Amino acid sequence: MPTIAIDAMGGDHAPEDVVKGVAQVSLATDIECLLVGDERRIQEQLEGVSYNPEHIAILHCRDVIGMAEEPREAMRRRDASLLVGTRAVAEGRADALVTAGNTGACILACAKHFPLVRGIRRAALASVYPRHVEYAGQDRFALLLDVGATVRCEPEELVHFAVMGAGYARRISKVASPRVALLNMGSEENKGGETLVAAHRRLRALGGINFVGNVEGNDLVRGRADVIVCEGLVGNIALKLIEGVSEVFTDLASVAAERRLTWRFGLRLLARGIERLRELTDYAQYGGSPILGFERLCIKCHGRSTAQAVANAVKVAAKAVRDRVPAEIAAAVAAVG
Amino acid sequence: MRLGNPRRRGRSAPPATSLVCRWDLDKTYLRSEFTTLRQLLRTAFERPEQKVDVPGVAELIRALKAAAESRGQTALVYFVSASPPQIGKSIRAKLALDGVPYDGIVFKNQLEHLRRGKFRNLREHVGFKLVELLRGHLAAPADTQELCFGDDWESDSLIYSLYADILAGHLAAAPLTAILMRIRVDPLLVAEVIDLATRVSGRDAVERIFINLERRTPPATFRLFGPRVVPTFNYFQTAVVLAVMGRLRLEDVTRIGTVLVERSGYTARRLDNSLDDLVRRGYLTLPAAERLAAPLRATGLLSLPAPRTRWRRMLVRLGRWRPRRSKARPVTSPGALDYDAILARVQPAARHAAASGGTP
Repeated sequence: MPTIAIDAMGGDHAPEDVVKGVAQVSLATDIECLLVGDERRIQEQLEGVSYNPEHIAILHCRDVIGMAEEPREAMRRRDASLLVGTRAVAEGRADALVTAGNTGACILACAKHFPLVRGIRRAALASVYPRHVEYAGQDRFALLLDVGATVRCEPEELVHFAVMGAGYARRISKVASPRVALLNMGSEENKGGETLVAAHRRLRALGGINFVGNVEGNDLVRGRADVIVCEGLVGNIALKLIEGVSEVFTDLASVAAERRLTWRFGLRLLARGIERLRELTDYAQYGGSPILGFERLCIKCHGRSTAQAVANAVKVAAKAVRDRVPAEIAAAVAAVG
Repeated sequence: MRLGNPRRRGRSAPPATSLVCRWDLDKTYLRSEFTTLRQLLRTAFERPEQKVDVPGVAELIRALKAAAESRGQTALVYFVSASPPQIGKSIRAKLALDGVPYDGIVFKNQLEHLRRGKFRNLREHVGFKLVELLRGHLAAPADTQELCFGDDWESDSLIYSLYADILAGHLAAAPLTAILMRIRVDPLLVAEVIDLATRVSGRDAVERIFINLERRTPPATFRLFGPRVVPTFNYFQTAVVLAVMGRLRLEDVTRIGTVLVERSGYTARRLDNSLDDLVRRGYLTLPAAERLAAPLRATGLLSLPAPRTRWRRMLVRLGRWRPRRSKARPVTSPGALDYDAILARVQPAARHAAASGGTP
C-alpha cells in the first residue's frame, strides 16, 4: 500500500478537517497515512473521531505556513509542516504529498525538493473539474492544466503540459487516447497571439497525443476534450469561475426559496436534481489538483477543503502512486522527445 | 526484558496474588454480527468452526495464564456473556478449538426473562453482568487482582467501572441504587447487586479495564471513565499495556504480534503505528515503548528505523517532548467516577445501540 504524507496544518480548516479526512481514509482503506504537523494538536483531533491507528503515523513539526504568507519568505521556515512533508516524500518516507496549504509555497517546496521529470521545464498544477458527458461511459471529469503553477508560458511548456495531462488522464481516468485541446479565444488555429499559435502548430505536428485543436471557454464544461491546456493565469480564472457559478447557483436557489411560497414548493420538487447538480460540481468530490512534472507526486487541495475533500485527495494520491503516474509522464515525454 | 519506568519498577511489579481475568464474549472474544435479525439467527446457528475470534485474543488469554504461571501465580479466566445458554455448547466447542483455557463461563438465561414477561431485561445487561461479576468476585480468593476485558458496542466500560468502584468501596448503596435505577435495571437485580455489594471487602481489586474498540468509537469518549479504562484498537496494543504492567512477558507480546502478522495480514508498520498510538494517548511512556520496541525490531516484528535518519529522529524526539509524554497515565482513580456525566453521555448511545439491535 502506498504511503501518503498529508500536511495536517495546511488549509483554512486545519488541522480539524484534515485530520478528520485522514481518519475517514484510515477506516475505509489500507492506505498508509503520514500526518505531518503538531503531534499534540493532531492527536487531540484524532481522539475525538473514529480512526484506525494502524494506518496512521504522525511526523511531528512545530511550524505552519499561513495561507496568506509570501511563498518565497515561507521557504525559509524549514520546520513548517509543508516543507517537512515535502522532504519526507523526497527522502522516500512517503510516496506522495497531499496539502491544502499555501499554493505558492507548495509549488516552491515541490520545485525545491522534487526533481523535474527529464525533458520537462516547468511543472503544472492540473485540476480535475466536472463536465458534460457526451456519450455513455465517458469520464464525467476533465483535466485542466495549468491552473496556477506557471503564470505565463512558452509554447514548448504548453506542449509539455499537453503531454503530461494526456499521461495523467491515461492512467487515472483510464482513457486510452485522451482528447487534448488548447484553450483559446477561437477555434481557428491562428487565434490567440504568438504563444498560442506556436503551441497549436507544435501540438498539431506532435505524434503520440490525440490533439483536437482549440476550444473556447464555453467548451470547458462540454465533453469536447479530456485534457485542456492553458497558461496558469487563464486556467486559474477559468477554474474559479466554474466553482463560483456552482456556488452561486445553489445560493440563488436557497434565496429564491425564502422569497415566495410557490418558488419554495417548486424548488422542493427539484431538490433532488439540485442536490445532484451540487454533488457533480462540488470540488470536495474530486479531492485535489495534481502538480505534474515532478518525479514525485503532490496533490494540492483547495484551501477550504472539507474532511471529505481531503479524504478524496488522499485516495487520488494513492491511486496515482499505484498507477505510476510520474513514470507514465516520464515515458510520454521521452516518447515525444 | 524488564519494561516500565525503571524508577517505578518496584511499584509496577505484580503482587504475589492470583489474577482473575473477566472477559466479555461477543465483540471481545468473538467477531459476532448482530446488527440484523438475519445475522442474529446466523450467529445462533453457527457451528463452532464457523465462529471467528478477534485476531490475537486466544493467544492473549493463553499468554496471561502462562505468564502468571511463570511467576508462580495462577490466572483464572472467566467469561460473562449476555448470550443465551442455548448457544453455550457451540461457544465451549469454539473455545476448545482455539485451545483457550478458561475456568468458568456464564450465560444470560434469556428464555427465563421471556417466560416471566420481562422483555426489557432481554436487552438490559448491566444488572445481569454486575450480579455475575460480584458473585464471581465473592467466590474468588480474597487477595486476587482483576483485569476486565470488554468492547465498545454496549456498556462494558460502564459495567466494569461500576464493578471496580463497588469493589473499591467507592460507591455506597444509595448512589449505586440511584445509578442502577437510572439505567432502568430490574429492581430485583438492583436489590441483588446492593446485597452483593455490601459483602465485598472494599479493596481496589480491578487493575485495568480493557475495551476493544471493535466499532472504532473515538477514544476520547472513554475519558470520563478515568485512567483505569484503556481503549485499545487491537490485541497487540492490549498486550503491550499488559507487558508494561508486568502481566505479560516480552515473548508473549512477540507471539501475539506474530500471530497478527501471520494470520491477520498485519504488517510491521501497522504494529509500529499501534505502538506509537499508545504512546501518544499516554498509556505508555516513550522510554518504555523504546525498551519494548528494540527486541521486537530485532525479531523483525517491528520495522527497523532508517540508520541515516538517526540524528533527525533524536531531534524530533527532543522536539516532541512534552510533560504528558514523560509519564504514563496513572492507573488508579482517586474515587468514584462522575457517573452523572457518564450516564448523560452513555445513555443516548445505549438507546441507539438497542434500537439498532445492539449485541448481547
